[in-house]
Amino acid sequence: MAERVFAGKLERAGFADIWVGGHRPFGIDEAALYPLFTSEVIEVMRRTIPPDRQDHVATGVIVKAREPA
Amino acid sequence: MAEDLMFQEEIKQAVRQAYGAISTGGGESVARRLYTDQELAEVPAGAVRWALGVGNPVRYARLRPGEVVLDVGSGGGVDTILAATRVGPGGRAVGLDVLEEMCERGRRHAAQAGVDGWSEFLRGEMEDIPLPDESVDVVISNGVLNLSARKSRALAEIFRVLGPGGRICMADLTVEGELPPEVANDQSAWAG
Repeated sequence: MAERVFAGKLERAGFADIWVGGHRPFGIDEAALYPLFTSEVIEVMRRTIPPDRQDHVATGVIVKAREPA
Repeated sequence: MAEDLMFQEEIKQAVRQAYGAISTGGGESVARRLYTDQELAEVPAGAVRWALGVGNPVRYARLRPGEVVLDVGSGGGVDTILAATRVGPGGRAVGLDVLEEMCERGRRHAAQAGVDGWSEFLRGEMEDIPLPDESVDVVISNGVLNLSARKSRALAEIFRVLGPGGRICMADLTVEGELPPEVANDQSAWAG
């Protein structure tokens, strides 16, 4: 899910003061630390994702928002 | 419509199977990327071993003593325990997980951390949260919303259980642009 899509879903759900921060690159090497990613999908990622994107396949973010009072 | 529902069910089953099949979390190699030494010292080794998050929502949530916190997708309980420590015995930390074995781990780890008196772990889905309306002050989650095939429904449920002025603080992964179809269509990638 893209960041703007995430924020849009929050807005449509009724949340206010939406803040997205704490951006952190998430690459294939980090994905490989998680047992949920099989070795097969890690191998597919290494084979199909361009080398210059492999250390930033996704972005870790913190999303904050508030329900209107 | 029927195809959408089948796809949603397929994703849900893939995620449940993936999480039910693993025998450990990301362990210290994941936890040390997300939490400080001081934070890790507050949680039992078992909870650290089951760390599967992608961020540190408790650090950003500015929890206050006495607040009621819901941790959506609590897993082994590391964030629930950190939240319970911050809200204290005058508050309450509730972990919600779709797998009963994760809830059992969370209960065990909360007891080891000494916060079980004001923590509980409920089995349930984020799209149908088993809590009353306006019963929570803060909702946290860590790498969980992306697992839902019905994200808007999950957010509506979170909105429902939060009281007026309630806050959310979620860590998750965002992806800009397209992933190769071989990756995007892999069930393991959905669960991760």
